[in-house]
Amino acid sequence: MISGVLTLFHWTLRMDSRSIYPHLIRVAFAFAMLFAMAIALADFFGTSRVGLRYFQSVCALNVVLITVSGISYFVTAVTEEKDAGTYALLRLAGMNSLSITLGKSTSRLVSSLMLLIVQVPFTFLAVTLGGILWQQVVAAYLALAVWMAFVANLALFCSVRCATSGRAAGLCGVLILLLFTLPALIGDLVRVIPAGVLAAGTIRWLETIAEAIYSLSVAQRLTEVLATGGTLVMFDDQFWILTVAAVVLFILSTVMLDFWSAPDLPGNGDLPTNPAARRWLVRRPRLMPIAWKEYVYFTGGHGFLLAKFAAGGLLYFGFQLVQTDGGRSVSWELSNDAGVDLFRTFALIIFVELLLYSSGCLFYELRQATQSTLGTLPISATRVLLEKLAGCVVSLVPMVFWLILTIIMGFQGVSRYCSLTMVVSYFIMLGFSTHVAALLSLYTRWAALPLTILCSGPAFFCLALPIYGFTSVTMAAAGTHGLPVSSVLVILVNLFWTWLFVMLPLEIWIRDRWTAVVRQ
Amino acid sequence: MAEITRETVPAISVNNLSHSFKGHQALSQVSFCVMPRTLHGFVGPNGAGKTTTLKAICTLLKPSWGEISVFGHSVRSESIAVRRRIGFMPDHFSMYRQMTVFEYLDFFAAAYGLGLDQRDRVIHDVLTLTDMDGRRNDLISGLSRGMQQRVSLARVLVHDPDLLLLDEPASGLDPRARIELMEILRELRRMGKTVFISSHILSELAELCDSVTIIDRGQVRFSGPMDVLLDNPDEQPSWTLRLAVVEPEALTKIQQLSCVASITEPEFATGRDFSIQLTPPATGNDFLKELLTLDLPLVSFSQQRRHLNQAFMDLTTRGVRT
Repeated sequence: MISGVLTLFHWTLRMDSRSIYPHLIRVAFAFAMLFAMAIALADFFGTSRVGLRYFQSVCALNVVLITVSGISYFVTAVTEEKDAGTYALLRLAGMNSLSITLGKSTSRLVSSLMLLIVQVPFTFLAVTLGGILWQQVVAAYLALAVWMAFVANLALFCSVRCATSGRAAGLCGVLILLLFTLPALIGDLVRVIPAGVLAAGTIRWLETIAEAIYSLSVAQRLTEVLATGGTLVMFDDQFWILTVAAVVLFILSTVMLDFWSAPDLPGNGDLPTNPAARRWLVRRPRLMPIAWKEYVYFTGGHGFLLAKFAAGGLLYFGFQLVQTDGGRSVSWELSNDAGVDLFRTFALIIFVELLLYSSGCLFYELRQATQSTLGTLPISATRVLLEKLAGCVVSLVPMVFWLILTIIMGFQGVSRYCSLTMVVSYFIMLGFSTHVAALLSLYTRWAALPLTILCSGPAFFCLALPIYGFTSVTMAAAGTHGLPVSSVLVILVNLFWTWLFVMLPLEIWIRDRWTAVVRQ
Repeated sequence: MAEITRETVPAISVNNLSHSFKGHQALSQVSFCVMPRTLHGFVGPNGAGKTTTLKAICTLLKPSWGEISVFGHSVRSESIAVRRRIGFMPDHFSMYRQMTVFEYLDFFAAAYGLGLDQRDRVIHDVLTLTDMDGRRNDLISGLSRGMQQRVSLARVLVHDPDLLLLDEPASGLDPRARIELMEILRELRRMGKTVFISSHILSELAELCDSVTIIDRGQVRFSGPMDVLLDNPDEQPSWTLRLAVVEPEALTKIQQLSCVASITEPEFATGRDFSIQLTPPATGNDFLKELLTLDLPLVSFSQQRRHLNQAFMDLTTRGVRT
């Protein structure tokens, strides 16, 4: 077993060192640290807190990197073998479940830990710059290391559970997102529910769960560690709980590997095999066959559309019910708080849904090697891409419908919560992120979604300033000339410049890359 | 008049086609011509440039140099018109596995702009031709490799293309599926389609194809009718004679004929086959006339031809291209 583990470990490390991407990520990370140092110096020059500010930025970078690695790098540990059809060969080579999980995941973990180790000299610099003790640095790295171990094993579990890397990345992303957002969501839910709807004991129980999840959060632990004053515990509850969770996930992955890695039976699919049900769900392509194909086979078709309508309705009336008096009456009206919460929820769902579609719809062709077949159709590449977009847009209808209903019914709260700049920024970021995800999906195998999330943060800061500037200038100009539709003008101006200077170049890039991929 | 013009315009005309990938010359001055309503074989060792040429013909690849036209339409400037007249079957399986056979064909028929009624008829026809009508509601993921290959061929036919470009259509198929595929290709030729087939199975190509192009290391070594390739013009033709019963003195009798230069029994022969060299300028007719006077129990008499394998080995270079 040991030789098998070592072979896999050695092979994976060799592959990692030969590939240019891990080295590029390391270089990018080094630049990010340099940037963080420059920001810290600019912010706190001459004070004693430069080191602390710098180390806080480094820790934030590490958290993002580890989390993104979970969704993209760790998650392919086993699924890459399943995708390539080589899993059975590993078993034939005499490797047992433990050898596979250990060999495939440890190398990735070591490779990522190397990124943490590389930072050590820089962290000493943080201590020298001041504002932080070496004990705090050690405690912070312990928190980060245990977070990495937990994320790696959670991703390994997803990789074992799912049949493809795409599904594993999706599951892992949802679980990590829940880990970060569940405490806030539970808090919001408890806040929105009127007094008397839930028993005090139930509310306390919900709050305890939220606190427990929050205490596991690496962000909370780093805040504690980097806070000045108070006693510093190196190995606190977060460390031990996450360690135990990581071990449990690893054991579960190893035990369940065989059961969950059985090959799919031929004929398994998302659509029913019953001819009548299938006829109703699939229908037949007419004017835009590629859009039809995307809608039916990629986004789930009528069945999934109805399910999303129902889920949106449940969410809407669920919020509406808990915010009315005692939850006894149902109406379309929304209170301010419920309107805002529901608006945020639907906006987030649409964002996630669109990101999933954009990162998957082109890759879906590459995975099935069907791009050359599409390439020989008497249709231009631009039309193929636009039809694909159309197919995905149709499946957004349910959530967009509920979002619009939320805006209409909870207009007072939503309009107070959302400024015009915020709405414009949301739409621009939605457009930018979907373009980037679609483009990256033509370059990377599984990392399009996490890399897009990684790119979207800095891009938001780059785009927000011109959006704010254009909004102010347009509003002022509209005011000077007495134009009554200044809001519409602001939206049009911002959409125009971002389309011309940001989206259009990306669209041309996507089309050219798609053409190149079709020809490969 | 229109018919005459249609027949005289080559189905494929490749002139001085050159292409390189990252400094590697994949194709160099490739030129050949395929006439309509013929079955043209395209053979060459691995890495010879077959798939690159096929991709260039079916508009997937823009060549660095040279011109390709399909039924008179330039691949460079009239790619959409070319795509309407061709059906390309790649060498790998590229199928939407979660579709049923009918849905898959319906999708491609719709993509080629066929109406609903027309699609029903065409799908029925192509499924009948490929003998897959009974599996129309089966999921593609549940089909065997041979059946998937048939569905792939049916897909290529849904828009009734004039030219079929098939890249290794028989690879990975069992002997029965291969023979059935070849039968379908013959049927397609009878239907008036031009078939351009890239394959490694030389014995089947020799029987099937009217013409052939042999490519090696990015250069065309031979392009023309199959008969010309198999009849080696540099050598004096040999003839094979088969007798029903071989009498002891038969060999001596034949040797004594005036137009016979030599007679040998071929290797691994059944003992009834003789290989005969004639003295120039004697022809097969001359020999046959003399032979009939001997009153031997003759079964067959034919000119020996080079096997395509032999021609292929003669024309291509040993080793893998670097």
